[in-house]
Amino acid sequence: MRFLPHTDSDRDTMLEAIGMDVMSDLFADIPSEFHLEQDSLDLPDALSEAGIVRKFTQASEQNRHAGNTRCFLGGGTYHHFVPAVVDYVISRGEFLTAYTPYQPEISQGTLQTLFEFQTMIARLTGMDVSNASMYEAATATAEAALMARRITRKSKVVMAGSVNPRYRSVTQNYLSRLDGEYVEVATHDFSTDVDAIIASIDEDTACVIVQYPDFYGSVYDLAELRLACDAAKCLMVIAFSDASAFALIQSPGECGADIAVGSGQSLGIPMGFGGPHLGLLTCKQKYVRQMPGRVCGMTTDADGKRGFVLTLSTREQHIRREKATSNICSNQGLMCTAAATYMTLMGDEGLKTVATRSAAALHHLLSNLPKHVTAAQGARYNETVLSFVSEEKRSAFLVEARKRDMFAGIPLEQLDTKMASNHLLVSTTEMIEEADIQDYLVALEVAA
Amino acid sequence: MSTAHTSNTYSAVGGIQHEEALLFEHAHEASEAISLPGVQGDISAELSAFSRQEPANIPGLSEPETVRHFVRMSQWNHGIETGFYPLGSCTMKYNPRVNEQVVRLSGLANIHPDQPMDSVQGVLALLYELQEWLCEIAGFSDVTLQPAAGAHGELTGLMMIRACLDARGQQHRKKVLVPDSAHGTNPASAALCGMYCVELKSGADGRIDLDELKKHLDDDVAALMMTNPNTVGAFESDVKEICQLVHDAGGLVYGDGANLNALVGMARPGDMGIDCLHINVHKTFSTPHGGGGPGAGPVVVNDTLAPYLPVPRIVKEGETYRIETQDEKSCGTVLGSIGQVGVLLRAHAYIAAFGKNHLHKIAQDAVLNANYVLHRLQDAYHVPFKGLCKHECLLTDEFQNKHGIKTLDVAKQLIDLGFHPMTIYFPLIVHGAMLIEPTETESKATLDSFCDAMLEIAEQCEAGDTQVLHDAPMKPIRRRLDETQAARKPVLVWSD
Repeated sequence: MRFLPHTDSDRDTMLEAIGMDVMSDLFADIPSEFHLEQDSLDLPDALSEAGIVRKFTQASEQNRHAGNTRCFLGGGTYHHFVPAVVDYVISRGEFLTAYTPYQPEISQGTLQTLFEFQTMIARLTGMDVSNASMYEAATATAEAALMARRITRKSKVVMAGSVNPRYRSVTQNYLSRLDGEYVEVATHDFSTDVDAIIASIDEDTACVIVQYPDFYGSVYDLAELRLACDAAKCLMVIAFSDASAFALIQSPGECGADIAVGSGQSLGIPMGFGGPHLGLLTCKQKYVRQMPGRVCGMTTDADGKRGFVLTLSTREQHIRREKATSNICSNQGLMCTAAATYMTLMGDEGLKTVATRSAAALHHLLSNLPKHVTAAQGARYNETVLSFVSEEKRSAFLVEARKRDMFAGIPLEQLDTKMASNHLLVSTTEMIEEADIQDYLVALEVAA
Repeated sequence: MSTAHTSNTYSAVGGIQHEEALLFEHAHEASEAISLPGVQGDISAELSAFSRQEPANIPGLSEPETVRHFVRMSQWNHGIETGFYPLGSCTMKYNPRVNEQVVRLSGLANIHPDQPMDSVQGVLALLYELQEWLCEIAGFSDVTLQPAAGAHGELTGLMMIRACLDARGQQHRKKVLVPDSAHGTNPASAALCGMYCVELKSGADGRIDLDELKKHLDDDVAALMMTNPNTVGAFESDVKEICQLVHDAGGLVYGDGANLNALVGMARPGDMGIDCLHINVHKTFSTPHGGGGPGAGPVVVNDTLAPYLPVPRIVKEGETYRIETQDEKSCGTVLGSIGQVGVLLRAHAYIAAFGKNHLHKIAQDAVLNANYVLHRLQDAYHVPFKGLCKHECLLTDEFQNKHGIKTLDVAKQLIDLGFHPMTIYFPLIVHGAMLIEPTETESKATLDSFCDAMLEIAEQCEAGDTQVLHDAPMKPIRRRLDETQAARKPVLVWSD
């Protein structure tokens, strides 16, 4: 077997050295009733390397993908441009095949990169500090709720109904086995009802979680919510699904967030049918000791040279066990390296160009929308809801769009079962060109 | 413009090893930004009202500078491709390159999770087949691919156990029994699931003590979390009786599959009475660790727990696959997607490469290698629990302590001798633990040179030649780092 270096003669030599005759002697401590018969598992025969490539290529070719279609799908996952350098860097074996940097002297590459990642994420979100990643945005949102409960020693969580349904569902699930109230505030007109959220805050409230831009792409003013949170001594948690937005619009820090969590998938990570993506968790400096997950800090070595280590580990499960701030161990380390590389290639200017073009594409589309389709009102970043007169009209459009190799949007009821079935969540990025929008508009006319 | 923190002009510190400044210190007047596609029109007036006030101040570097920066960073790292990496309970095996190649095919990497089902049948078929294989290999009847990592799998498994007990009207059962040798994630996951832990003191042989277990089995017990083989490297030979005792007391048994590499193809946890088990595909099934992740922690379950699996999950109807999102009995949703698909696909490719005829060789060679290392080191280092080990072996620094040398010193000297150290100070039930897991992808020559290094260190102790051990490591780009300073006044971001 090509991944195993031993020859049979190596195996014999080693068995003899440890005083054994046959391989099965090594498993003598397992009761014999549990020993599997040779070749008894119901698995296929081994594939050669060429066979694996053939099988995966065939499977790949069965799928439609953003490489051979135009992708107007968002809802938490976005088709942004990924420069070749990003994949090159994360393919380097020294990054790819390293473990969590438990031995800092020989892990300075991972650690300095994490420090740079944390710095850039803090700057992009406008927050004081970032941890070294969560799994993805939905679990990061749940962790933010738990973190706010620890900080405030209060238990009620108020969730805006305009937060991504997946983030809501995972957060509710995480909280459901713990004491405390969980309240979702209904949403109207595909935007966030700040007044209704404020009305749900009471003295037991640990945090309010809003998404910004919200699930429907709406960008809105959070100043009043910030004041209401101050008055009630609860935290304002901002969730986000496309971190690229903050090169263009007010950052969570500028909006006054105490904790900001969301997805970093937009920062150089392919959509990959849902993962691996990148969860981000950032907060104000004063809350660092309640953060979940790993975090990298600066220090010096025995010669006084600057270096980096994983730090604040007394928060973590391997030290604090059941009293840890989270159970997370493996995180999304390599995705941090991808995002760090991406942001370095982009810089402020590149990031702002990505955000501006993502928003400009949507504006261009909405400015030319035919009359039989209505778009949600108000400021939108790169995502909005189109409403058709009926489900049939929407279906006709989706069929027409598919003929033109377009995934034209996500039927909203697929993500949120409470929604009527005549809506489409539509998203644009810098990967959408003017010609794609023209095609989209033609498909709308044809299917009218 | 700022300069690198080193005072000299040249960064080479020896040969072609380089110091490398933080990228913020490299920053200079922005060159022309990266070329990007897209619509070059205006944004809406409504959106303009929400413009960011202060620039983010993310320093863009040109492409050649970016590549050089991160390649130099990479050269400060040690990975499994660089050399031996015997971290116990981490299963640092070789990560096949073909797996990296196939998951980057555009039809797998560039699919959106909410595409219509008819456009993603290829990827669903691969994932569905992986589901069947994981059930077969571990001996269970169903599986969720959703958990993002091992600890996340633990939480998911306990959520299913909670849902099952609730369905039985056993809401009061909240006690989770966890051996004192368990991974720290076990008690942390239990706490997150609204349960509380009681620690089981391990027996003199490092295994679960049946009398100790019986003492804690009462009407409050929700579950036992067991790792088998456990973290001292020993197989829990009483596993069948242990599971029976817990079941008789009305509880369920959670299996921590971090150590499945010792059993794969040789024996199946599902046959032993365990109710559910998470599988760290980034350990047993060779997906790369990436400097901390991403992993994936699918959970396999038996018929008792199958009704409570999370949604969404992949189902097959005739020859068509789809994603089921609704289920009344389900323990809920644990992730914002169906799983870490790219990681799971690598696991698929890995299992496919071994197939039914070769899979058992993974466990055989892994266990052979661990026992070989144990055999070579057992006279020079204290072995707290005698006898056969499985895929990892446990030593301590007891012999070296009398020369003033601790496990940490041994680990740091290994670095100077060219090896990544073993897991140190875990498990917590022995003093100065050194947990060595060689994995099956190391040659006899590598194992011998590692053992030679370990023996040399032990001899240095005996000879009183210990200063070099206290000073180690001398050779890497950084020497021992001050972790106290880092934690006391944390600097987590760079300030210009």
